[in-house]
Amino acid sequence: MMSYVAPADAPSVEDIFPPEAAWRSLMPILAVLLCWGAAAFAITNSYYLLLMTMVPVWAAFGLSWNLFSGYSGLISFGHAAFFGLGAYFVTLAFIVFGLTPWLGIPIAGLLGAVAALLIGLPTFRLRGHYFALAMLAYPLALLSIFEWLGYEEVTLPMKREAGATWMQFADYHVYVFLALALLGGAMLLTRAVERSRLGLALVAIRQNEPAAEAAGIDTLRRKLQALSLSGGLAALTGGFYAVILLVVTPDSVFGMLVSAQALTLAMFGGVGSVWGPIIGAVILIPLSELLQAKLGAVIPGIQGVVYGLAIVAVILLAREGLFWRVKDLLRRPAAQAMPLAPAATPPPAPPPRSEATDAMPLLEVTGPLLEVTGLSRAFGGLHAVQDVSFSVRSGEILGVIGPNGAGKTTLFNLLNGFVRPDAGAVLLRGQNILGQQPNRICRAGIGRTFQVVRPFARMTVADNVRAGAHVHGASEAEARALARAALVRTGIAGQARMLASQLTNLQLRQMELARALAGSPDLLLLDEPLAGLGAGEIEVLIDVVRRIAADGVTIVIIEHTLHAMVRLVDRFIVLDHGTVLATGSPTEVTQNPAVIEAYLGKAWAEHA
Amino acid sequence: MLQQIENVLQSLEAGLVVGAVYGLMCAGLGLIFGVMRVINFAQGDFMMLGMYAAYYLMAALGLQVLLGDAAPFMAAIAAGPLLLVVGYVVHWLLISRVSGTRVLTLEGEGHSAQLILTLGIALILQNGGRVLFGASPVSIQTTLSSEAWEIGPLYGDDISIFVNQARGVSAVVAVLVAGALYLFVTRSRVGKSLRAAADNVQAAIYMGIDVDRSHRLAFSLGIGITAIAGGLLATGYAFTPYVGLDYVIVMYAGVVLGGLGSVFGAFWGGMTIGLIQQISSLFLPTQLQNTAIFAVFLLVVFLRPQGMFGRVSERT
Amino acid sequence: MLEIEELEVSYGGLPALRGVSLRAAEGAFVAIVGPNGAGKTTLFKTISGTVSPRAGRIRFDGRDLLAIRPAARPHLGIAHVPEGRQVFPSLTVRENLEMGAIPATGRRDWQTNLARVEAWFPILAERRSQLAGTLSGGQQQMLAIGRGMMSSPRLLMLDEPSMGLAPAIADFIFSRLVEIHHETALTILLVEQRVAEALRHADYGYVLETGRVVLEGTHEVLRGNDRIRQAYLGM
Repeated sequence: MMSYVAPADAPSVEDIFPPEAAWRSLMPILAVLLCWGAAAFAITNSYYLLLMTMVPVWAAFGLSWNLFSGYSGLISFGHAAFFGLGAYFVTLAFIVFGLTPWLGIPIAGLLGAVAALLIGLPTFRLRGHYFALAMLAYPLALLSIFEWLGYEEVTLPMKREAGATWMQFADYHVYVFLALALLGGAMLLTRAVERSRLGLALVAIRQNEPAAEAAGIDTLRRKLQALSLSGGLAALTGGFYAVILLVVTPDSVFGMLVSAQALTLAMFGGVGSVWGPIIGAVILIPLSELLQAKLGAVIPGIQGVVYGLAIVAVILLAREGLFWRVKDLLRRPAAQAMPLAPAATPPPAPPPRSEATDAMPLLEVTGPLLEVTGLSRAFGGLHAVQDVSFSVRSGEILGVIGPNGAGKTTLFNLLNGFVRPDAGAVLLRGQNILGQQPNRICRAGIGRTFQVVRPFARMTVADNVRAGAHVHGASEAEARALARAALVRTGIAGQARMLASQLTNLQLRQMELARALAGSPDLLLLDEPLAGLGAGEIEVLIDVVRRIAADGVTIVIIEHTLHAMVRLVDRFIVLDHGTVLATGSPTEVTQNPAVIEAYLGKAWAEHA
Repeated sequence: MLQQIENVLQSLEAGLVVGAVYGLMCAGLGLIFGVMRVINFAQGDFMMLGMYAAYYLMAALGLQVLLGDAAPFMAAIAAGPLLLVVGYVVHWLLISRVSGTRVLTLEGEGHSAQLILTLGIALILQNGGRVLFGASPVSIQTTLSSEAWEIGPLYGDDISIFVNQARGVSAVVAVLVAGALYLFVTRSRVGKSLRAAADNVQAAIYMGIDVDRSHRLAFSLGIGITAIAGGLLATGYAFTPYVGLDYVIVMYAGVVLGGLGSVFGAFWGGMTIGLIQQISSLFLPTQLQNTAIFAVFLLVVFLRPQGMFGRVSERT
Repeated sequence: MLEIEELEVSYGGLPALRGVSLRAAEGAFVAIVGPNGAGKTTLFKTISGTVSPRAGRIRFDGRDLLAIRPAARPHLGIAHVPEGRQVFPSLTVRENLEMGAIPATGRRDWQTNLARVEAWFPILAERRSQLAGTLSGGQQQMLAIGRGMMSSPRLLMLDEPSMGLAPAIADFIFSRLVEIHHETALTILLVEQRVAEALRHADYGYVLETGRVVLEGTHEVLRGNDRIRQAYLGM
């Protein structure tokens, strides 16, 4: 599969993915934790020390929410479920089994992770609004169950004689340090996830879940992993919270305000970053606590009002949160990221497709790469695709054309598993792939691009492409090598370190091709790759497609720009009203009266 | 045995009576969701404002003296237009910034902003309510609350059903208001244009319907309707500024049950929730009544996302 | 009546129209043809206002249309029958027609318009209380056209009325359009992929390709030109 050899002058993997010293991103984390700890030493007032403990605790909870919702984009209103389970587990295990929180808290973390799996498995079947609403129901249901069980107010017993064994300290400074350790752990976890394949998969899911699935990412598995990490962290934090406050009530750990707290801190500070929830906690927690302390007696409820106002203000003024807002402001002066090469490296001229390669006599013997028979799918009463049969030979470029609404995109959706057929069979190298998950089909060797390019805008071009390279469970080094090869082959290696949002249309199309190519597909489905391109740009992209085909990738392409298509493809299939109207070489098809009639109308066919 | 039958009938009655008010509550939310596709978490808190509006209308204006027994119900109805104005202003200042034709092109991005904005509004209303109205529970006192009609005896002399008069009248008023809303949405030109905007925003614009105005109307009307339901509920129950939390999930359960988006379905969904709540009280402790609602809610969401009363109408 | 000058539109950076100019005189039947993805639907959406142009002018009756809110444009006498029909599925057939009659002219002429539309498309009278979402594709297209006519428009924009329809039904709809054009003093703007049918009845035609007008002229001029064939079939 890795038959492609990049030219010697192409950028190296290190050029494309510059190695980054780990300490450079660890330093700020360490610095903040140390400063916070040092500041705590200067304080003796126990109220302020409690405040200095609560800020990291809530920040860790915010990070747990962020770990799932921030990166995946699926809003959870139910993180209080995990938080509360953790808090109650630590408390009840302490009371009933005499289990020290030193053990109770880690176990609570595991419990939270398991609970997240149990909740996630059914709930991920839901999308959008339904997901958010269902998540809201879990903590509220738990709240009433714990009330019913009679745990309306549970107090941790005091163990003065051996405080340290029971995580009870007379010196409040210890709690600050424990909280900081928790926060540090949460930050490292977030950072690790962010840089891992899981993080990349989550961002891909946030941007476009179907596209992520089509790129070979097992979205359900990734979401479950993220939710269980997130739920575990939330439960851990909840357990520690119980130890600090010593009293647990259903409302204070399962209540809607608890879920809202996590979400508010992360949203306010900035979702999808290590720093967002911390910025949120550092600003909002002291603010509301101080308001509560100074004004709480006079104006009870002021804390909630401030929270509400903070949420409203963020949504209206800085929808992505403070962190990103500030980052964007800082970046603007230096917005022009240096491209690696002064201009796009033009791909070398493709080898001419000779008549001999068109015929492919050898492969006729080995059988077709893809064999489609009797494929049908109806939506309501509309037969979108009806009894469609064709085969794709290994190494050819097959064009799929037809009038609007002929069923072309539905055909692609059937081939890559987005849509289940009513009837028919699809054999890839003789294996039936029908009815499999899109990510499985991708791994089996079918890649695809989409009509509308949806890049991961805040990621570099290189990372965008790397997201497509994890398909075969390749190691990180292998994925980087695949990404680099794909970038070189599509001619955008020179832009690898730019942000996707800075690319031109043509470069976006090239990047999309690279992303699909990075998964080393045998068969590539291209859905209108030329849409929105000017005449000169079309030529560049056609050359890229030809080169990819010349390297041995079989291509099926939907495109309306026929004058470009007739020069590109080996063979056409023409769809009309969901059925195959004609197949054949470009010359045959464009002279076929039935095709002319479908495209230009009956009168034209008679005239011509 | 007879005692058990009587208990079942009695909780059916209670379910229907409270269900009618829940139904009205849900119809208001269903209207908002149906037209705007916005999840409004603050709906319960707007309802709370409706309860307090009715409460203060009763207290301040001395309606009791003027209208006698009808006073609490008139106050509840009067809370509707009042909250309608509040809803109008809130939509104009806040909700319209993250919804409507403005975010038509944003796809998924817009809706998390909407969810979170309404969550912020909910927090402001709950806690602002605490600041304004205090935390101690209040209720609207009426002489009817302590009187009941007897239906029966039904079977010999053994079975009788008692209908609390305040709740009974509330249920009747709720059904009447829901009926009026139904007529408005199905018969009037404005109502039909609301449904058209809900069906297809783009085509509605091509018809000359001002979709942003339709949204504002749906939002304020939905708030007003739910506020009336709140006012009616307040005649029998004590409430605090945090009451909205208990009902927002009840309302969403009802709306989902009715098939997200249909006003009519939402009413029946709310009615069903009322019945589940009351009937579950026969064999479940009160603390678990809400859990029973959540369980039914989750079951419906998983098994029949189009709702029990929903219809899959094809979008072309 | 309708004058479009140098219209430029792009979607998130992707150009869809690159300087399109077009005119339609009062009472004219103008066809806009071109392959998929040429920008025909975008052009209509820009006229209706659901898409905003980056540059260019649209004048309707001498007024600057771009300065008018999208929802106010139908009230000037512009009816848009969108691509893919887009009837209101949960409203009945009759209610769909009522939605078409929202502008003041539509309310004024309700009775006559209803009679006319039901005469052109008798099925709409027959199915008046059926939900529009349950109609067949052809019936939905008739409803969409009828709905457009209910406002007594002066400009009717039709976007691919034959899309996805069986040839016989497409033929019926075309014949009705010709009838509608003869019976009323209506200006019609027709976007079609099937060139021959569109051009046969049109007074004037424009050929769009990748966001540009590559050819324009009368039916005879266009039919004789090989450029169309090239635009569609590439050779």
